[in-house]
Amino acid sequence: MTARSALSRRGFLGTSMLFVAGSVVACSSDPQGTAAANGADVTLTQWYHQYGEEGTQAAVKRYAAEFTEAHPGIAINVVWGADVSQYETKLNAALLGDDAPDIFELGDFRAEMARKGQLEPLDDVYGAAKSGFNKADLDYLTVDGKLYAIKTMDDIMVLYYRKSLLKKAGVTPPSTFAELTDAAKKLTSDGTKGLFIGNDGIGDSPYLLAWSEGVDLIDGDKVVYADAARSIGGLRDLHADKSVLLGFTTDWYDPGAFNQGAAAMQWCGLWALPAVEKELGDDFGVLPWPAYDKKGRAVARLGGWSQAIHARSKHVAEAKKYLEWLWVKQTDLQIDWAVKYGFHVPAQTEVAAKTPEFGKGAAKEAARISTEHGKSFPAEWTQAMQAGFIAAAAAVAKGAAPARTLDKAQAKAQADLDKQTV
Amino acid sequence: MTATDTPPLHTDAVPPAPAAAPRRRRLSERRAKILAFAVLTAPMLIGLGIFRYVAIGWSFLLSFSEARRTIALGDWVGLDNYQQLLSDERFRGSLTMIVLFTALIVPLTFAASLGLAVLVNRVRRGRAFFRTAFLLPAAVSYVAAAMIWKMSLFSGVPSGLANTLGALFGADPTPWIQTQSPPLYWIVLVTLRLWLQVGLYMILFIAGLQSIPRHLYEAAELDGAGPWRTFRSITFPMLRNTSVAILLLMLIAALQAFDEFYTIFSTGASLGSEPVRTPLMHLYGVALQDQDYGVGSAGAFLLTLLIVLVTLLQGRILGFARDKD
Repeated sequence: MTARSALSRRGFLGTSMLFVAGSVVACSSDPQGTAAANGADVTLTQWYHQYGEEGTQAAVKRYAAEFTEAHPGIAINVVWGADVSQYETKLNAALLGDDAPDIFELGDFRAEMARKGQLEPLDDVYGAAKSGFNKADLDYLTVDGKLYAIKTMDDIMVLYYRKSLLKKAGVTPPSTFAELTDAAKKLTSDGTKGLFIGNDGIGDSPYLLAWSEGVDLIDGDKVVYADAARSIGGLRDLHADKSVLLGFTTDWYDPGAFNQGAAAMQWCGLWALPAVEKELGDDFGVLPWPAYDKKGRAVARLGGWSQAIHARSKHVAEAKKYLEWLWVKQTDLQIDWAVKYGFHVPAQTEVAAKTPEFGKGAAKEAARISTEHGKSFPAEWTQAMQAGFIAAAAAVAKGAAPARTLDKAQAKAQADLDKQTV
Repeated sequence: MTATDTPPLHTDAVPPAPAAAPRRRRLSERRAKILAFAVLTAPMLIGLGIFRYVAIGWSFLLSFSEARRTIALGDWVGLDNYQQLLSDERFRGSLTMIVLFTALIVPLTFAASLGLAVLVNRVRRGRAFFRTAFLLPAAVSYVAAAMIWKMSLFSGVPSGLANTLGALFGADPTPWIQTQSPPLYWIVLVTLRLWLQVGLYMILFIAGLQSIPRHLYEAAELDGAGPWRTFRSITFPMLRNTSVAILLLMLIAALQAFDEFYTIFSTGASLGSEPVRTPLMHLYGVALQDQDYGVGSAGAFLLTLLIVLVTLLQGRILGFARDKD
């Protein structure tokens, strides 16, 4: 009896030890250690966020394999990561540690990352091809005269409108904010709202309103968006007659509300164009956000993803070689990446012109809007600035005094900006 | 008499050797027990030390230093981070909001789960069924439940459940989450939290109820006490310790609210347009999105301080783990 219980105690201890040892081994080995490092001298780790489109993961692995075939010494370990909402947080955490990726994607480019020495300058990767890239992108990715990332796709956001509904209501595509408000009102009928800009009724509109009045968010080292008090004040008029769709099941980035006829106009991305086309045929068109008034200008937000190299990577030269090979030289792969899975504009203007999908119809118009009206957030823009700005705009939409509310938020954002640039 | 005259007393009644042996055995047994304790608890304690206490200590130091996009210490700024947060209207607003929210949700959850526990405990048949049925929501993740509340129950479209019910009574479709005057979003937030939490606390109350001696109820019945009197004079006082512990858990859970607020108000981009934000939502943005670990840590300690204060206050008023007398 005693012997048996002693044995089982020892057995228990042994098992626990095995368990602990097993966990230690499991934790210390790289969970993504599936790199095809056969015979390669250098293995680069490359992080992607999780694209929703089918086939994207296989595609980036194929690009990596093709590169290794052409450059046998360098293997790429593609890490398919978190979805958009979590990706930046995880990337930021990884960049603080020793296991940081060599190459990674950036959604919102942050100048602070470059200033804090986290990003490697990439001017030599662009080389002579630099002039062929979308000008708005180059401005966006330049910090203190150096380029720190390379755009892999341009996502332009546009105003989709239903041609037949506009015709029925007797309105023409709006070219000023007043016309937009008026059109939204006339298009609102039983079961259909005039305009959908986001479930919160705010979405990107504060940015678009400021830009469309000709006001920037940041000018040099000053936050200046309070100058747009007049146009942002327009949010109240927009909401006054309940012509804006609120609380739909999917949000503005999904074409659901537009496709199902819950809204006659929707602010959404170019990525939704194939789905809209499939559902509505040619009964739709795209517009930039209209100029605020005759003195303003039409704008569209330019998003998309870029890739950058970690400045502390041990293989900066190899990583640069890879980015240059893929995103500067391999135009076929760039076109494949832009239009075969989702629907994006290639960042090099010439490549975009060569892409057959952008040769006609609404897609062609969207590509034009991208180069002529595209505008990105300033690279100094932070989450805190965004939250403060949007909160102020939301308060204005509810009836707060525009100038005073925006001034207050602007002062806070200025303090934030000052902290970044010291 | 000199020392040399007397031979050593070898003729003692108890021989020394057998006396020492059990003591030594007892000692080595004790040592073995200590060793076993150390071996078995060390992995846990070391893990706890490194991943909890070192991290907490580090974060405390970070709260006094300028740490943007780094967790390195050294750029000391004193109380600047605390001052910056406390002068931030949005953060102060979130603190006020969370205190009000706690003051509202805790009594509600408490009353609902206690009431449900008493009812379920009285059921004669199928008690296990009801217990499980009410506990099940506790197994649902906050995020998943918040999505259901947001997209199907309280969505703004006419086909949402709340709007479908409303249409039966002739009401127009309402955007529940976006309507701010009156603040209908509170209906969404409060019903969600109740649905998720009541079951778990109900189980704890049932455990408390079952430990109340039956003879007290029998005596009360003999004395002719009605159900309300029995509840007021026996059940509730006998549940005192359970209640105090549950209140504590509820307070902490309410002050740390994040998941459902974040999910319900998120727009696919950063936040900003949400009508109410919790302190953790604010800190998530500051620390994890803007990478300002200094200010983020300062906020974490301010929130901790708030939780400690509320807990102490509650202990002061109700007495935590005090004897039953």
